Amino acid sequence: MILPIGPIHPSLKEPLRLKLKTQGEKVLSAEIDYGYVHRGIERIMKGKTWQKGIYLSERVCGICSYIHTQTFAETFESIAGERAPLRAQYLRVLTNELDRIQSHLLANSTYFKAIEHETLFMYMLYLREPVMDAIELLTGNRVNMGWNVVGGVRMDVKQTHMDSIMKIMLKLESEFERYVEMFEKGPLVGLRSHDVGKMTRDEAIKARAVGPIGRASGLEHDLRENHHTYKDHLDLKVIWRKEGDNFARNMNRFDEITQSINLIKQVIEDLPEGDIRKKIDIPAGYGDWRNEAPRGEVTYTVETNGNLIKNISIRTPSIMNIDACAKYMFNDVATVSDAVATYASVDPCIACTERVVIVDESGKTREFDYPNYPKI
Amino acid sequence: MLDALKDVIRKSSIHVCLINTGGCNGCDIEVVALLSPRYDLEQYGIYVHNNPREADVILVAGAVTEQWREKLQRIYAKVPEPKIVVAIGNCPLSGDVFNQEGSSVYAPVSDYIPVDAEVSGCPPRPSEILAAILSIGPNAIAARGRQKL
Amino acid sequence: MSSVIWYIYEFARKSWAEKFVAARSEQEIMETPSRWRNFPEVRKEYCIACGACTAACPAPMAIKLVRSSDTSEEEGITYPVINTRGCIRCGFCAEVCPTDPKTLLCGENHLIREKFTILPVEKMYVMDEYLCIRCKKCLKSCKVGAVSEVDNRMVIDQSKCIACGECIKNCPVKGAIKGVFISNVEEQKEIINLVVNTLEKRIDEDQDKIKNLAPEEIFKFDYPIDELVEKAREIIPNDELIRDTIEKITDRLKMRIITWDDEKCKSCRLCVDECPVGAITYDKDKGIERNANKCLKCSICYQTCPFGVAGFYVARFLLTEASLDEGVIHVTLKPSQLPIRS
Repeated sequence: MILPIGPIHPSLKEPLRLKLKTQGEKVLSAEIDYGYVHRGIERIMKGKTWQKGIYLSERVCGICSYIHTQTFAETFESIAGERAPLRAQYLRVLTNELDRIQSHLLANSTYFKAIEHETLFMYMLYLREPVMDAIELLTGNRVNMGWNVVGGVRMDVKQTHMDSIMKIMLKLESEFERYVEMFEKGPLVGLRSHDVGKMTRDEAIKARAVGPIGRASGLEHDLRENHHTYKDHLDLKVIWRKEGDNFARNMNRFDEITQSINLIKQVIEDLPEGDIRKKIDIPAGYGDWRNEAPRGEVTYTVETNGNLIKNISIRTPSIMNIDACAKYMFNDVATVSDAVATYASVDPCIACTERVVIVDESGKTREFDYPNYPKI
Repeated sequence: MLDALKDVIRKSSIHVCLINTGGCNGCDIEVVALLSPRYDLEQYGIYVHNNPREADVILVAGAVTEQWREKLQRIYAKVPEPKIVVAIGNCPLSGDVFNQEGSSVYAPVSDYIPVDAEVSGCPPRPSEILAAILSIGPNAIAARGRQKL
Repeated sequence: MSSVIWYIYEFARKSWAEKFVAARSEQEIMETPSRWRNFPEVRKEYCIACGACTAACPAPMAIKLVRSSDTSEEEGITYPVINTRGCIRCGFCAEVCPTDPKTLLCGENHLIREKFTILPVEKMYVMDEYLCIRCKKCLKSCKVGAVSEVDNRMVIDQSKCIACGECIKNCPVKGAIKGVFISNVEEQKEIINLVVNTLEKRIDEDQDKIKNLAPEEIFKFDYPIDELVEKAREIIPNDELIRDTIEKITDRLKMRIITWDDEKCKSCRLCVDECPVGAITYDKDKGIERNANKCLKCSICYQTCPFGVAGFYVARFLLTEASLDEGVIHVTLKPSQLPIRS
């Protein structure tokens, strides 16, 4: 029988329709309907200046709102052939990593909610709040930060900010290990996570899985390696795992949080002096930029027209990951409740996904044809 | 008699259903943050459930997109009486930044379902959402009574 | 079983027990850091009604300027009003506000003062020193002090300019201050090409009349502007930009026209070698031929030809406010006064 889940369902935080084809309790296949939060952001952005566009790009997705503005700004900087001042680059890394920590904690908490482990769910949110405080302290808002501009960042940091962020990070680090151990070694959580929703490396490549989902299946790929600030100034090693099941995906996110804390410490220690913003004149041109969002790879392709945006295309990671989940992970899921847990482990972000999706009549979705970037 | 008893019980326990009708997710995660030990929504007897069939309060977050225009009214009809709608964030109030030329949003949400309370902000802080939910609180639900169908 | 032990271990921790006994909402949930951006606070008395905040605001219907009504004692003041149902609390209005002290306060955003303009402007205003008569009306009318006098010249400081256009309104000389569109450069180029090409084509159609012009005679006609605007709208649907561009180019445009009278040609081939781009060719059967597409309009053939085959004329264009109302461009054509080499 076909079991529809969503768009409003106790286990879903965001509107999406999952159609599970089941035989008894076993899930045979899954189909996904998108389109509930399509707002037409790319269309609105056309013919606007970047000053207005950056606020729209921030609202593509509320969870990883930061990386969208950074990628947007860096795309424009690449069109102009310039880079932000070094201090601004460091501050971008700092905010990016703070955002990654809160996003990963939220993603894991959603997973624990999906497997009905309320204790860990609460602990994750408990850990997340100080990080949100740090973001609010630094940028002025908890979610939509308004921190990036083309050519740098808005506000400078003071030593007091750095001290309190460092304090929050040290506290997080000391408490964090205990909760990871609860997940890693705890008996019940492990039983519901190991060997559920498996995706092999080949399947991950076929499904174009990105981010922690791809890395948990053995794809050793993190775009931060190629980013100029990380490559030239910071110490970063890609974290990846082989198992490819729910457990690996969550553990990969936990490990990345530790890594992010390390990066933040590095940034705070050797933050260079200097300007935080410079004037960048945007010529008419075409450019693209890729960055590692908490969920994977986000790409902006922008065609400018002097000061205005002529065409813009945004590609976010969630759509590949959700498709990977529907196609490969549901193959050997024993029960419907495990299917929901597997879906949550992919860290789906629907608001990200819905801008340009072409839906066939058969209900199959295919994503935007990226290399042949057409004029819409 | 039975209805009166139900109202008394409902006063101390509110079930909340969150509907994202096409926002950026920011308000959703602020509601999730409300569940965290710091804000602890459940100490006030409020339980975020995401199930419209047993909800007393609907939180609407998001400008209304094409797909939601009919579905929102259908979901509203499924919620048992008495019910209260709280609009969270600017999207349901005015459409926020999305309500511009070329977009596919049909804000405000009050065109489709009646809205009892609103919290503005993009997104509002959890403390602001908490204050709004508590201000309409259990008493408002009881005071509203059952609508005759 | 092991999980039960796990939970016993969890609950036996001292900090947990302490928190459980003294459970309460902590004060921190209501506290906000100093950078936290609430809805902008408006201080009416500082507002200069420049409109920078409304121009910068990314959200529609979040901010608008209102003017309070005049009373017998004092004039009404203009100030921004924030609609909290539309405002996204980004603080950008407080950032771009040019007054000192700022009219709008929002978090710490109003402390930002960059050395360059951060307003999303479409136009850049520049001063034409050649035309400026130094009447200083722009200096008086500028609300943000962007116009200043340096070495007896008026200068616009781009970092302060908010592109309100107040200076152009007050300038008595046409063209002394120019508002240049800095966006849509490609489209502007296309419009210029379109205008020049259509006007040239139109003049070519009248070649027979032009050929017979006496040396002192002037040939005049009006070209309707509607057609041009209609075509330009297909390139970019921005009427303000189109009119601005057409006005600016017709103001300066001087077109050279070369006419060619085959009947007078005696095939002396003097012009063939003189032409710098090889637009004139000789063929035994066809005689002298001129390729109009290659022609640079340098007038060398006109100066060379002893028989007056080539004619050289200069066209000038005029688009004033009066002619705009009529919807025409005035075109004036007269023979060039260049001497003929012989």
